[in-house]
Amino acid sequence: MIALEAVSHAYASVPSVEDVSLSVEPGETIALIGPSGCGKSTLLKLTIGLVWPHCGRIRIGDRELRPETARELRQRMGYVIQSGGLFPHLRALENVTLAARHLDRSAAWIEARVDELAELVQLPRALLERRPADLSGGQAQRVSLMRALMLDPAVLLLDEPLGALDPMIRFGLQEDLRSLFERLHKTVLLVTHDLAEAAFFARRLVLMRSGRIVQQGTYEDLAKSPVEEFVHDFVRAQRGLHGNLRDV
Amino acid sequence: MSESLPATSSMLLAVDRGHGRTRRRGSRLPAVIGAWMMIAGADVAAAEPVVIGSKAFTESVVLGEITTQLLRGSGHSAEHRRELGGTRVLWSALVRGDIDCYPEYTGTLRAEIFADERVPDDGALSQALSRAGMWASGALGFSNTYVLGMLRSRAELLGIRRVSQLVEHPQLRLGFSNEFLDRVDGWPGLRARYQLPQQDVRGLSHELAYRGLESGALDVTDLYSTDAEIVAYDLVSLEDDARFFPAYDALIVCRADVAPAVRDSLDRLRGRIDAATMTRLNARAKLDREPETEVAAGFLRAELQLASQSRERSRVLDVWRRTCEHLAMVGISLLSAIVVAIPLGVIAFHRPRVARVAFAIADILQTLPALALLVFLIPWLGIGYAPAVCALFLYSLLPILRNTHAGLADIPLELRESAEALGLSRWARLRSIELPLAARSILSGIRIAAVINVGTATLGALVGAGGYGQPILTGIRLDDLALILEGAVPAASLALLAQAAFSALERRWVRIR
Repeated sequence: MIALEAVSHAYASVPSVEDVSLSVEPGETIALIGPSGCGKSTLLKLTIGLVWPHCGRIRIGDRELRPETARELRQRMGYVIQSGGLFPHLRALENVTLAARHLDRSAAWIEARVDELAELVQLPRALLERRPADLSGGQAQRVSLMRALMLDPAVLLLDEPLGALDPMIRFGLQEDLRSLFERLHKTVLLVTHDLAEAAFFARRLVLMRSGRIVQQGTYEDLAKSPVEEFVHDFVRAQRGLHGNLRDV
Repeated sequence: MSESLPATSSMLLAVDRGHGRTRRRGSRLPAVIGAWMMIAGADVAAAEPVVIGSKAFTESVVLGEITTQLLRGSGHSAEHRRELGGTRVLWSALVRGDIDCYPEYTGTLRAEIFADERVPDDGALSQALSRAGMWASGALGFSNTYVLGMLRSRAELLGIRRVSQLVEHPQLRLGFSNEFLDRVDGWPGLRARYQLPQQDVRGLSHELAYRGLESGALDVTDLYSTDAEIVAYDLVSLEDDARFFPAYDALIVCRADVAPAVRDSLDRLRGRIDAATMTRLNARAKLDREPETEVAAGFLRAELQLASQSRERSRVLDVWRRTCEHLAMVGISLLSAIVVAIPLGVIAFHRPRVARVAFAIADILQTLPALALLVFLIPWLGIGYAPAVCALFLYSLLPILRNTHAGLADIPLELRESAEALGLSRWARLRSIELPLAARSILSGIRIAAVINVGTATLGALVGAGGYGQPILTGIRLDDLALILEGAVPAASLALLAQAAFSALERRWVRIR
């Protein structure tokens, strides 16, 4: 569904992603993990065309991502970021329906879709009349998710979607999200720096460092057969309740 | 001095250089201004009145008013655009056809307008005028030459009676009207001729110079020989013993294409105003505060038995008219600036190279003194609303441009990316996301431009655009504080009102967000 072939990118002249190849099957959930600045968020932005690779190719489904195809392909992807990225001057409902209205979807279609999504993300419809500033962090992320799902995209790109939430809310939303991904059968690329969260959502984890993929595999692969010292250190740094490796 | 222009010969020699009778007002203006000018100038175009201009001092205004009422009394349609500025402004307006006639002095024409040609006497002047496509009436009968004046008490104390004696008093403080300070036949020539040593020489409004003399801040100033203040302030005129100042015989200079009947009417003034009469008229207007329209009507009744109707001045109506003029200037210039600067700000935000050029130009425009900009614009746009609106438009660009750019630049990257990730077109992003998010900053740019504009628009009166600057200008000329306040108070109120209205809009916007 998503195919990155030898993709490289640099901000100014500082390399952020170097020679990355990655393929995601339809319906698969993949977690990108790694320390801050390892290039995992940039990889997500490359996938939806917010930044452009200096070399390499990106394919979404059967189409190559290029400036002239970007708009159409973006409509087949949903993008959620840590802060939600909701437009503060628009009510939650307007945020959710913005893209559909610009695509001239009928009012009835939009109405039905909003009902469906509100139920899916378990958000009371009354909250959709509020502005983002009047929503809690968890509510805002649910709205942001509705916005991403509005056009029923095949692909979901999530950049630390739960990173700004307090642990209780985060725990609940993790459960909700995972069941949602399974039910909707979406192709999901999830960025997180939390190994436990990554393992909770995805079977395949992709560990990055300094713009490169260091190791791919299940949590067990990373924990039990690290390909280099860094993988071992990264896994060990995720402290469980008892100060050691966390059970998954 | 009493030599007059041979009117008939100048009529014969008059050459029309193809300016035509159709007034060119507004022909080269941007569309917005042009369209507005058509509306504003509709009455002018319909009746085609003879437009009389006058300079920004009392005698010129009185003569302009006499000329206007004389033409009306002779069955012509005439309109007086008073206090337009100095010689250059009036002459440019005449050449462009914005005005048809204005009172002028032979010495000024010779030394200022035809400085590059050899114009030794009035005969040569008549020919020079013809070559320029102009015609002049017969001399009115008085000469208003420049003189240097001092308080009588001060002059007697120092024993100064002649200009040449100033050489012995280098410590004297000199204050001259700005025009005199620059004119070839003014201070530069005078200093050279008499070898004057004074260092403390400053420029100021002619009308303020009397008060400078009275308060002792100045010792010597330039006067017109028919100034009413010479008697009122007990001044002495210093004898021009080296005969530096040329003759300044008053006449009415017109475009050669004014109707022969108009010329005949104007020639009725020939020799009818002697120096004593002019000084008396000046005194009535300036010292007795009699409106120039009344002064002119009184003169025409007494001298030419012309029953001239002078309109009663209605204060309320005047304030209303000036408010309309002022609002029109500010409104049109501000709207045009909004229409230009917001799109330009958007383009500049997306293209840094455009931003650099646009900001550089807008910055330079902003540093130009308003008065200089207005005068620069006259050769292209003539007098009246057009140069005023154009100058205000140029001044409004920078704040709106800057704030549009800054408002867009302040939108967090993640919001711009979120909009892009939604698959919205560039136009949709601009309309639904970027402009609304930048709106507060843009609004505050418009507010700054509006407030600056309301104040700067008072300078419009200097180029005949009217507005609240008109009573301020006249008030300074007549030393009439009430009249100055009649312009200053509404101008300040309007600025405060604009400030309050736009601030309320901004606050409303914050609430929405």
